[in-house]
Amino acid sequence: MNKMKRFYIPLFLTLALAGLFISCEDEISPDLEQANSIVVIDAWVTDKPGKQVITITETQAYFDNTLPPGVSGASVSVVDDLGSVYLFTEDPAKAGSYVWTPSGSEVMGSVGRTYTLNAQIGGESYYAVSKMGRVPVIDSITFTFEPENAFQPDSYLAEFWATDFKGPNDTYRIKAWKNGVLLNKPTELNLAYDAGFSAGGNFDGVTFITPIRQGINPFEQDDNDEPLSPYFPGDSVYVEIHSISLQAFNFLNEVAIQTNRPGGFSELFATPLSNVSTNIFNKTTGGQPAVGFFNVGAVSALGKKFEQ
Amino acid sequence: MKQLIIVLLLLILAPQFLQAQNKLTINGYVKDASNGEALIGATVYVKEISNGVITNVYGFYSITLEPGSYTVNYSYVGYTTVSQNVDLSRNTEINIDLVMESEELEEIVITADLEQANVENMEMSTNKLDIRTILKVPTFLGEADVFRSLLLLPGVSTVGEGASGFNVRGGSVGQNLVLLDEAPVYNSSHLFGFFSVFNPDAVKDTKLYKGAIPSRFGGRLASLLDVRMKEGNSKNFEANGGIGSLFSRLAIEAPIIKDKASFIVAARRSYIDVIARPFVPLLKDGGALNFYDLTLKTNYTINRKNKLYASGYFGRDVFLFDANQGFSWGNTTGTLRWNHLFNERLFSNLTFVYSNYDYKLQFGDDNLDRFNWDSSISNFILKPQFTYFINSNNELDFGGEAIYYTFEPANAVGISNGAAIDVSLDRKYNLETALYIGNRQTINNVLSVEYGLRFSHFQSFGPGKVFQYNDTTAGIRRSPVGITEFKSGESIVDYNNWEPRASFKIQSTPTSAIKGSYNRMAQYLHLISNTTASNPLDVWAPSSRMIEPEIGHQFTLGYFKDLGAQRDYEISVEGYYRATENQIDYIDGADLLINEYIEGDLLSGIGRAYGLETYFQKKTGRLSGWVSYTLGRTELKVNGINRGEWYPTRFDQTHNFKVAAFYDINERWSVSSDFVFVSGTPTTFPTSRFVIQDILIPYNVNESRSNVRLPSYNRLDISLRLEGKKVRRGKERKNSDYWVFSLYNVYGRKNPFSIYFSQRDERVPQGTPINSQAIQLSIVGTVVPSISYNFKF
Repeated sequence: MNKMKRFYIPLFLTLALAGLFISCEDEISPDLEQANSIVVIDAWVTDKPGKQVITITETQAYFDNTLPPGVSGASVSVVDDLGSVYLFTEDPAKAGSYVWTPSGSEVMGSVGRTYTLNAQIGGESYYAVSKMGRVPVIDSITFTFEPENAFQPDSYLAEFWATDFKGPNDTYRIKAWKNGVLLNKPTELNLAYDAGFSAGGNFDGVTFITPIRQGINPFEQDDNDEPLSPYFPGDSVYVEIHSISLQAFNFLNEVAIQTNRPGGFSELFATPLSNVSTNIFNKTTGGQPAVGFFNVGAVSALGKKFEQ
Repeated sequence: MKQLIIVLLLLILAPQFLQAQNKLTINGYVKDASNGEALIGATVYVKEISNGVITNVYGFYSITLEPGSYTVNYSYVGYTTVSQNVDLSRNTEINIDLVMESEELEEIVITADLEQANVENMEMSTNKLDIRTILKVPTFLGEADVFRSLLLLPGVSTVGEGASGFNVRGGSVGQNLVLLDEAPVYNSSHLFGFFSVFNPDAVKDTKLYKGAIPSRFGGRLASLLDVRMKEGNSKNFEANGGIGSLFSRLAIEAPIIKDKASFIVAARRSYIDVIARPFVPLLKDGGALNFYDLTLKTNYTINRKNKLYASGYFGRDVFLFDANQGFSWGNTTGTLRWNHLFNERLFSNLTFVYSNYDYKLQFGDDNLDRFNWDSSISNFILKPQFTYFINSNNELDFGGEAIYYTFEPANAVGISNGAAIDVSLDRKYNLETALYIGNRQTINNVLSVEYGLRFSHFQSFGPGKVFQYNDTTAGIRRSPVGITEFKSGESIVDYNNWEPRASFKIQSTPTSAIKGSYNRMAQYLHLISNTTASNPLDVWAPSSRMIEPEIGHQFTLGYFKDLGAQRDYEISVEGYYRATENQIDYIDGADLLINEYIEGDLLSGIGRAYGLETYFQKKTGRLSGWVSYTLGRTELKVNGINRGEWYPTRFDQTHNFKVAAFYDINERWSVSSDFVFVSGTPTTFPTSRFVIQDILIPYNVNESRSNVRLPSYNRLDISLRLEGKKVRRGKERKNSDYWVFSLYNVYGRKNPFSIYFSQRDERVPQGTPINSQAIQLSIVGTVVPSISYNFKF
């Protein structure tokens, strides 16, 4: 379903027109089942120059709107298949934040190599494995003018141009920053399986398909809920392609399904809540489970300022 | 196999033939005198033997007796009974036209004699909805609909407004076989379930089988909805139509050759988009939002032994947001039938059906970047059926069925920057065949039984690919590890199933009966749906090496009683228990659309559904209607879901209470109302939250499925009907018309469709807390008034 979502959103607006007068949404505060906290490992390291951070926190009650509590005192390291060890040490200023600091121009990871995360937390020891994939370069970024239509005012759309490698099963995540601010809403999660949305798509070795190329635009409303042009002259955009493992691709797809809930009539097509997967395992069977994900990715990047 | 059927036939038939030697037969058709429509289920009762028969779906009956003098009564609810004296000295054909009781007489309806009780259908777990009831039930947006009435019956439920299809006795939407003139309808809803595809102007009779399904039907576990179309008025020209808030309809019927051939053409179209066009800019650019359908039928009586029928349906729902982007879906069916009478007692029907369901999506506004996707299921069916009216105590049904299916899971082409890429999935070819035999037997005045056997066979053949998957822990998506290719016509997999059916009726007193049944059913098609409610994008998938046929065993036991001097009250209590095998559920994160490896995302388990249905009906008088209450439970147990423990299905409803009442205020005004109260359906709520890559993820640490229930659903609808004046300027009008004013959801309750959990739609700077929210969605959150005008001339 997820891969079609971008296509559907305008469609649902159409449907919503029909439902406008009769459907309604209310925020509620239902009672939830009690549950213990479990460990959350957010470990997405890359070969970008500079420090790499792995965050270890705990799950919170669903309606607890505070920062997740950091887990201190863990010992965290990443080992590659040649035996090189990257030690992550806790940031004394920030509980639960574990940092690897390169010496000199050293970067973490190289394409084709396999990495294992080891984390000792309390009495439990966790591990996760990730292989670093290849990443294509971004050839260019363009801005195009789209005249007003039913959903958008006169708009400037940014688009990055890159071509997937020949050979199937490359998986990527595309991150974008507008004027230095990361586009991090669930709706802005931009994933690619080869140049398309999913496996079996046969979009191999071609230019990324349009919704992916244009998945770097923030669609936001002004104070009067009127849609805004994603970019204006003077804005800048910065785009990164991260190679991610197939498991990470599946995981992020599940995250998108669970978190991208535009509501309204789209709920007719939404799947019920289910748990996202993880690649973090307890070394002891029957030990405390953990959630989260470990991925080692290669990154290519390009930025552009929109000048007219 | 074949030998076995022949042996069975001989065993059953041999003694009957011997005793039937010097007997004679009365047969014929029972029709409505006003329009020539065959009456389905009319009673033909022979006083002297205190027994009789019921007309079949073509209005045909046949009864075999010793020579002698008899009094035969022909009766049908709402029609004046006709009594005929027959001096039976040779085989006799008697065709009867029954006259509908006039409106004024309806309050003193003369019901069938008490002694006729043991003629009455031995069916249980069935509900018949005649079109007159359907037209009375309060409407949504002014339009009478088969579904509105269906959902008021015991054992029938829906997960809410916006859900396509319906659920019967805890079965899924895909476990109902919906037949329109014997053609399967794969999506029976318009506009996300608000309306059915059946145009009430063209529907004659609707019957829902929830259990005790005769051996001539098969292929689904939960129910069978048998919708029969009108044949078309064979006496006079007739036009029916209506103008409503949402759509308009018109039906025309007329004789082609009087009493020999007639036709009906009925059409509907919604026009909300036409009305809204000036106000909605989107619709000016070629956007559309509508549905339409066309229903056709014609028949021709060649001679007294041969009749032909041809019927068809074509309908579509269209949602376009400009001239070439959007979404549409629809069914097409065609049915050809030939009734042939081999002799006075052997009735046969040969049916040929084509049926197709498809949906299409297209996106992209230029030729360099487009995405076109369509999917379909189509089938051809050949179905010879025979009924042998052996004697007044035995009626033997036998025949067969062959269905050839073609599945197109996805034909999809994406064009990216000018480069076209085909992401289509392989077609799948399947053949489902069945042979059946069943006998209805009256043993004595107290006991009657029906027993039968169906043998079904399903085969999947090439060209095609079969993937082998790796083994993982149950509940984790599997990946393909191998592939086997099959050549055209090569058998990929086949399945056989014996499906015994049996039921009994004990007529404990003239007005009460105890009935029970057992069914084994096999289902070879599976509706793959992982959404909160069934929707038009759900894909039908055939059984394969990985997906085994669904099997169901159902037991029912019920008590039925008629009350009142005129037997105008009916009360029944029925219990059911169904155990099912090979029920499909979905691995968390399953991707069901355009996924070549979909089988790696499916899980299979067992199911059970049980419940008690109570029903009380007042059939006649100024105040009529019914009360129904169902206490039910439906659960699945799948290794890999909910820690391997039983969990309720998404459409489980503990309490399901419904009232429908109709009251005639005076000659012109009548009021109808319905009230529904059902328990909330199960859903899964998170316990916890965590943040990965700046995104807030809801999570159930206890790994529970369906761990909470939505708030209960209740709703009241009221409808007022005003008949047009019968007399104008001192003359009786030829035409008739009426207005319907209705209120749906009178007290404007916001009945929840779903509750979803998400982070708030605001940009959260990295490193700051993210706010969570829970949103309750009501598809209909207010009272919906409507008005419609209907006419007949």
